[in-house]
Amino acid sequence: MKSAIAAFALTSALVAPGLAAARPVTFTTTLNNYGGDGAYLVLYLTDAAGRYAGTLWVAGGKSKYYDSLAGWYRATGGDPAQIDGITGASVGAGRTLEITLDLADALFDAGYVLHVDAAVEDMRDSPDDVAVPLTTQGAGKPTPGRRYVASLKYDM
Amino acid sequence: MRIPWIAAACLAALPATAALAEDDCHAPRAAWQPREAAMQAASRLGWRVEEIEADDGCWEIEGRDAEGRRIKAKLDPATLNVVKLRHRDGGRDRRREDVRAPAAPLAAPPANPLFQNGKPPVVQVN
Repeated sequence: MKSAIAAFALTSALVAPGLAAARPVTFTTTLNNYGGDGAYLVLYLTDAAGRYAGTLWVAGGKSKYYDSLAGWYRATGGDPAQIDGITGASVGAGRTLEITLDLADALFDAGYVLHVDAAVEDMRDSPDDVAVPLTTQGAGKPTPGRRYVASLKYDM
Repeated sequence: MRIPWIAAACLAALPATAALAEDDCHAPRAAWQPREAAMQAASRLGWRVEEIEADDGCWEIEGRDAEGRRIKAKLDPATLNVVKLRHRDGGRDRRREDVRAPAAPLAAPPANPLFQNGKPPVVQVN
């Protein structure tokens, strides 16, 4: 029920964005010193049912490698329309990617999950290197990743 | 993440002046020097070539340098200058993709329904 309300709220937000409550949220992804090339990263959301809800950012400019971001690619087929205007350079080992954007309040405490898929040339792909539920209580708390991501946190 | 083997085959299908924005080299197809010339350029650098293919608009070479270290390099196909060289221990002696300037501020909001108020994200790499 809660997710249905959230879905309605988000839908309303999309239809009438001027009326939607949103707040600036900063996502901070810090990478390990894994000793390889710059990492391709994608940050995307799934809803409470596990369905793809949208992409926040893709780090890495060559679309031919996007299928290495396996979880995201499975959900989107690499559809360029999903990432038009939200791509940038890959992120080097040990560095930190910060993304700040206005995110609808309806996405918090409603079962939405933030996923980070990661891939590095000549190294193993890492779908869901880290995945965290979007909750107001989880804000500011770093979550460790599995392979290339040292930690992920969001602040608002 | 592996480099697609079909890159060389696709190259032949490109229009003579095509150069993709994502590529590392941007020479028009007509200006490409042949594979043998790239091999000779590598040889002059003291490299032993184990594999050569067209990738990202460049000649890409894998092999060993004069000291026997494993290398992966990209040569501009027109000038045969080295545009990227990485030793397989992870070092790279030329530009690294990850230290490029952050993307310029987006001129238009992305076509993505998660973004509110029509504002693009602000992105920074530290």
